[in-house]
Amino acid sequence: MITSMDRLVAAIRGEPSDRIPIFCNLIDQGAIELGLEPEEYFSRGDLVAEAQLRLREKYGHDNVWSLFYVGKEAELLGCQKIKFASDGPPNVEDFVIRSWAQIPELKVPADITQHEAFTETARCLEILKREIGGKVPLCAYITSTMTLPALLMGMDRWMELLFLGPPDLTQLLLEKCHEFFVKEVAAYRAGGADVIVYSNPFGSVDFVPMSFFLERSLPWIERDIAAIGTEGVVYYCGMASLNRTIPKVLERTGIGVYYLSPMDDITQGTALVGGRGLTCGVVNDIALIDWTPEEIDHEVARMIAAGKPSGKFLFGTGVMPRAIPERNIRALMDAALRHGRHEALTA
Amino acid sequence: MLNELITKYNEALIDTDRERALNVVRAALDDGISPEAIVFEVVLPAMDRMIMSVSEGFEANVAQHFITAQISNAVTNEMLERFTAPTETRGRIVIGNSQGDLHALGKRIVIGCLRARMIEVIDLGTNVPPEKFVSAAVKHDAPIIAISSMMVHTARGPNGALKVRELLHAHGLEDRIKIIVGGAPYRFDHTLWQTVKADGWAENAVAAARLVEDMLSEVAR
Ligand code: B12
Repeated sequence: MITSMDRLVAAIRGEPSDRIPIFCNLIDQGAIELGLEPEEYFSRGDLVAEAQLRLREKYGHDNVWSLFYVGKEAELLGCQKIKFASDGPPNVEDFVIRSWAQIPELKVPADITQHEAFTETARCLEILKREIGGKVPLCAYITSTMTLPALLMGMDRWMELLFLGPPDLTQLLLEKCHEFFVKEVAAYRAGGADVIVYSNPFGSVDFVPMSFFLERSLPWIERDIAAIGTEGVVYYCGMASLNRTIPKVLERTGIGVYYLSPMDDITQGTALVGGRGLTCGVVNDIALIDWTPEEIDHEVARMIAAGKPSGKFLFGTGVMPRAIPERNIRALMDAALRHGRHEALTA
Repeated sequence: MLNELITKYNEALIDTDRERALNVVRAALDDGISPEAIVFEVVLPAMDRMIMSVSEGFEANVAQHFITAQISNAVTNEMLERFTAPTETRGRIVIGNSQGDLHALGKRIVIGCLRARMIEVIDLGTNVPPEKFVSAAVKHDAPIIAISSMMVHTARGPNGALKVRELLHAHGLEDRIKIIVGGAPYRFDHTLWQTVKADGWAENAVAAARLVEDMLSEVAR
C-alpha cells in the first residue's frame, strides 16, 4: 500500500508513484464535522485531531493539520483575546503591541512547548503523530519573522512601522520575532510535524516592491531558513503570488517546496523551480464556493495538466473557506484523484 | 520644471520613500510651482499612473499603494491649505469594515486615496454592524457606502453587504445610496461583488478612488 507520505516523498524526488499528492487544507471544516461551534471546537486539541483524521478518511487527501488558527501564534506572545465567528475563522482581536513603546517589552517565551497556549496544540500533535505518524504528512503553519508583527499589531500598523518608522525599533521587533519563529518551529517539530508551511506574504512582490524584497525580505528569509534548515519547509506567501520570487529564494535558501498562489501561472512556476524542487499548484478555493461540478472538473484538469508533466508536482488548496459546500469539496477531491493518476504505473 | 518634479516625485513613490516625496514637493513650492499644480498635475496623475502600470504589467503592490495613499493624502492636505481659492469637496462617502472584520489596512489605503482626491470620508472603523452603515450614510447625507472585507464570511455572510442592501431596500433608500465593496475575497472572485448585491467594486485603492469619483459625478448629474 502506498501511503500519503510515500506519495509526497516520491513527488519531491520525482520518482514514480500511483498519483500526485493532494493537499486539501480543511481547518475550519473540523467544527462542522463534529457539529460544534468553532470556539468550543478550537478549545480542545483532541477534537481538532479527531476532526483532522475524520476529514482525511472522508475525502482521501494526503495531509493533516496541527493548525487551529493563525492567531494562536499571537496567543503564544501574549494575545488575550481571539474573536470567534460561527461562520468563519477566528481572528486576533487584542493586539499585543498597541504602541511602539511596547515593543521593547515584548517577551518571547523561554520554552514554547511549556506555554499554556501550546497545551492543546501539543495534545493535537501527539494524537496525530500516534495515529498517522510517518504515514500521512503532518503539517504545521508557521508565520515568518517578517510577517509575524502583523499578528501582534495589525498589518496597517506594521506597514507603518516598517516603511515609515524608526529602523532600530523595527529591527528590535524583527529580532524578537525571529527568536520566536525558531523556537516555534522547534516546538512543532518536536511534536511530530513533518511539513513546515513557512508563511510569508512579505516574500511576494504583490505585497512589497522587488527592491524591498531583495534588500529587506530576502535577508530575513535567509536567516529564518538558515536557523531551521530546509527539511520539510514549504515556501508560501499566504496565497499571494510567488513566481517572481522563486528563483532568488531557491538560490539563496535551497527551500525545496513552493506553494503557489492561484494567481500564479503553474507552467511558469514549475519552469522556475526547474526540477530543483516540488511545485504545488493551488486552486482558487474562494471561487470554488460557487463553481459547478463541471467547472471544478475543468479547472482541476487544467491545473494538473499544467503541472504534472514537470514530474515534481503537488495539487493543493488554500485555507479552504468554511462556505464551500461539502459537495464541492467532494467534487474537487474526486477530480484531483482522477486527473492526478500516473497512468503508466496504474495501467 | 514641472516635468522634472513629476519624475522625481514618481521615483520617490516607486521607492516607497515618504520623506523624499514630501521634500521634493516642498522644494517645488519654494521654486514657485503652485499648490494647485502640485495636486492636479503631480499627485493625482501619479495615482492614476499606478492603475495604468498594473494593466501594463509593471509591479504595483500593497506597500506601494499604502505609501502612495499616505503620501498623496499628506501632500494634498498640505497643499489645500495653500490653495488660492477655496476648493469644494467632490462628495462624501462612509466607509468601514464589515461586521466581524478587524482588518483595517485595505480600508485605510482606500481612505488615503479618496482624501487625496478631495473626497470627504467618514470612517466608521472596523467591525461595523450593517445598521450603522445605513444610519451613518443617512445622517451624513452620503450617497455611497463603502464596505471593506478581508475574509469570505465577512464579505458574503448575512451581516455584510447583503444586509446593508436589505436595509436600503426596506427603507426605500436604494436610489439615493449605492454600495461599493472591496478586499481580498473580491480579488479572488471577480463576480463576488454581484453575489453580495453591491453596485460596484474595485481591485485596489487607486481604482477604488476612481470608482467613487465616477459614481459621485453620476449622482451629481
Ligand atoms: C497578509 C495576509 C495575512 C497575514 C497578516 C494578516 C493580518 N492581520 O493582516 C497573516 C499571514 C498573519 C494572515 C493570517 C490569516 N489570514 Co490572511 N492573508 C493575507 C494576504 C496574503 C494579504 C492580505 C492583506 O493584508 N492585503 C493587503 C490589503 C491592503 O489588501 P486588501 O484588503 O485586499 O485591500 C486592497 C483592495 O482589496 C482594495 N480594497 C480594500 N477594501 C476596499 C473597500 C472598497 C469599498 C473598495 C472599492 C476597495 C477596497 O484596496 C486595498 C488597497 O489596494 C491574503 C491573501 C491575498 N493575496 O490577498 C490572505 C487572506 C486575507 N487571509 C486569509 C485567512 C483565512 C487568514 C486567517 C484567518 C487564517 C486562519 N485560519 O487563521 C488568518 C487570520 C489572522 C488574524 N488576523 O488573526 C484568507 C481570507 C479568505 C477566507 N478564507 O476567508 C486570504 C484571502 C487568503 C486565502 N486566499 O485564503 N494573513
